[in-house]
Amino acid sequence: MRLFLASIVSILLFIGIVPILAMLIKAFMPDDTIPSLFGSMQTWMLMRHSVILASLVTVSTFLLGIPLGIFLGKTDLPFRRFFIFLFLIPLLVPPYIIAVAWSDLFQMSGLPLHWLSGLPGSLFILVSVYLPLPMLLTMIFLHTVHPHLEEAGRLVATWPLTLWRVTLPLIRPALLLAALLVFLLALGEFSVPMYLRYNVYAVESFTQFSAFYNFEAATAAAIPLVLFAALLTVAENRYLRNRIAIPRHFAQKNEFLRITLGRNRWSVLTGIACLAAIFVAMPIGSLLLQAGGIDSYLRALHVAGDALLRSFFYAFVGASVLTFFGFFAGYLFLKKPFYAARTVDPLLLFLFTLPGTVIGIALITFWNTPSTNIVYATTLIVLFGYLAKYTALTARISLATLAMVPPSMEEAAQMTGAGWFQRMIHIVIPLTRHGILGAWVVASLFILRDISITILLYPPGHDTLPVRIFTLMANGSPQLIASLCIVMIAAVVVPAAVAWGWFHYWGTKR
Amino acid sequence: MKTRDLIIGIVILVVALLLFWKSGQEMTEKRPIVVVYVSEDRVFSEPILKDFEKETGITVKAVYDTEEAKSTGVMNRLIAEKSNPQADVYWANEPIRAEILKQKGVSAPYLSPNAKEIPKIFKDPDGFWTGFSARARVLIVNSGINERPESILAYTETRWRGKSVIANPLFGTTTAHIAALFTYWGNDRADAFMRAMKRNGVALSTSNGESADFVAAGRYAFSLVDSDDAVNRIRQGRPVTMVYPDQKPDEPGCFIVPNAVLLIKGAPHPKEARRLVDYLLSKETEHKLAFADCAQIPLHPDVEIPEELQPIDTIRIMQVDYAKVAAKLLEIQPYLKRWVSE
Repeated sequence: MRLFLASIVSILLFIGIVPILAMLIKAFMPDDTIPSLFGSMQTWMLMRHSVILASLVTVSTFLLGIPLGIFLGKTDLPFRRFFIFLFLIPLLVPPYIIAVAWSDLFQMSGLPLHWLSGLPGSLFILVSVYLPLPMLLTMIFLHTVHPHLEEAGRLVATWPLTLWRVTLPLIRPALLLAALLVFLLALGEFSVPMYLRYNVYAVESFTQFSAFYNFEAATAAAIPLVLFAALLTVAENRYLRNRIAIPRHFAQKNEFLRITLGRNRWSVLTGIACLAAIFVAMPIGSLLLQAGGIDSYLRALHVAGDALLRSFFYAFVGASVLTFFGFFAGYLFLKKPFYAARTVDPLLLFLFTLPGTVIGIALITFWNTPSTNIVYATTLIVLFGYLAKYTALTARISLATLAMVPPSMEEAAQMTGAGWFQRMIHIVIPLTRHGILGAWVVASLFILRDISITILLYPPGHDTLPVRIFTLMANGSPQLIASLCIVMIAAVVVPAAVAWGWFHYWGTKR
Repeated sequence: MKTRDLIIGIVILVVALLLFWKSGQEMTEKRPIVVVYVSEDRVFSEPILKDFEKETGITVKAVYDTEEAKSTGVMNRLIAEKSNPQADVYWANEPIRAEILKQKGVSAPYLSPNAKEIPKIFKDPDGFWTGFSARARVLIVNSGINERPESILAYTETRWRGKSVIANPLFGTTTAHIAALFTYWGNDRADAFMRAMKRNGVALSTSNGESADFVAAGRYAFSLVDSDDAVNRIRQGRPVTMVYPDQKPDEPGCFIVPNAVLLIKGAPHPKEARRLVDYLLSKETEHKLAFADCAQIPLHPDVEIPEELQPIDTIRIMQVDYAKVAAKLLEIQPYLKRWVSE
């Protein structure tokens, strides 16, 4: 067992961490790249822009996402499930598609496009994209509050006061995690600020690489982002992990306390419907209008059908590999059979919070040699990118699922003489199969929407749909781009809806 | 879990992994294939490459630039891959980057038989790159104004104060154009022009396309853009006209920006690469690009062109050495950064 798990960890570290370390060592080689980069006013101006944008996005998503999470997760609001899924859509599709949609909407309605460009536009789009994160985490962690505590609060106070004084303080670590995640994702996001012409630090790193191919400058430019990611990982590891990764209590449906909205339910419903219309229905509606009739979609499929199929194929293979590695990484972290296992989860989280462009640059620097063409000149390089970036997701989901399997079950099998592989195959995997499937679905959706890794690493002629749309945007007809965006949304949303329905069915059945 | 299910699952995963790995391996195979990196917009270049595939049976594998990489991303990828070349051919959307690749030892010489009729000014004498299908740097002028500017010096004239716009000179063809002016006029005169332009209240846009839209909407009187931007607005029925600037004998002439194609040194598929270069330099390709939305001017004589364009031999061309422009472009980057941020 120890050898097998150690091999898994070694492969993950070799694929993800070693290239990053190699890149950082290269960046610190004695030359004048770092002093000249950080001595420039432009660098600090970009950093200020990034921090302003990320802070505003964090505050806005926090202020909107927590009430939204409470209304959708804690009350008896009608159509809750429908709205949850609706708000999730912007998170599921590549963020620049939402920017394209709003740009189309402005053009169609004759509004000046410069209202959408720069900081206000980037802020608005990124809020709509990352709003689901605090919303979802709030909803999930509301279930970790023991109902007895809320009942005690309700004896002396109203629901709003109970939420304020009892419930929210108890889920504060999860809310902080959501804020940190949103901050880092907004800090590393480059496609939306780039599309809306707001110069931020992540764009500088991407441009240094993509436009100037200056590896040293690109690496040096990535260092602050690496440091931010490391800071988050340390903070999460130190203060939040024990309270978040393995919840002590998870309220079942029959014990979960739900707030009755009474007469207010329709006004709340109207407010939430308006929010959904602004953040989801309007941009998608504008794309649908811009795309036109069925002919546009047929043309879109003709132009990018191969890229769509490739996206699905990459998602299938990538998600399968990620689930495999994530499952054993989660198991390793739960059981900690050796000391180094403690470092696996923080390292994976660190990689997840790193911008995709940084990981991409690191992988290219590491693998672009004649002797490693077997990786660099094939799709393996893309798979390595996904493994480095997204294994944290499958590992975390697996960890949460594995934590729910009583250790006594494995121990009982061990007593009867079952070896580790037998226990895994006949006890652990069957008991966690729904979690494994959930991890697979999440990984495949993230791979489907990925652009930052794929655009840097895809071998010639092997682009995915998000990359194809990105390269067609230069002088491509707005109608074609809009129909491709709708195809992209459908490619993510339809499988997500099926998975959502299946998990709901399974939950109800259980 | 049954052992049979486990075996089936593992087999599916292994087969998918093998397919996945194999799917990206064509580059190392022996079947006719050519790998091309493309900086020309995908919507215009892809149909040409598809036609090449159909006509020759050679599979084309391409990597395209994105708008955001400012048409230099794949060029720089070529530089990074110099010791481990993956590409056979580079289709640049202007000759400056091709010249930089020559200077960095990334390209290999090839004199295509199809390039014989292309004027010398548009090709490297040693065959390290060859130009074809060009854009002209023209003035797009709003039809609502009474008198039309005829020279780029209009940017410095007080009567046009606050009425002109230009794309950010840090990127794209505007950078090349400014570098060409520095080469043609010399540093002092070009610097004086840039300063005068700034004093005259020129506005900066993010791209030539945006400049053209601003002029078409009447926000500014004129702008220096690429000919395809102007032709597109004319075809859309927008109220604009196109002026080839500086056509009088004592004036510098119109700066021409041809596409450029080059072979990569150590290309994995040299034979197929030469066929693709020949194809791109053919009259047929120039004809297709002239009648596509990009409306590019053929460099071969006797190629039919759309009515909005002017034949290359009737335009007074700015006589510059693109090698010198490339060197100047690198030299003036810090100057342009300062100019933009001041």
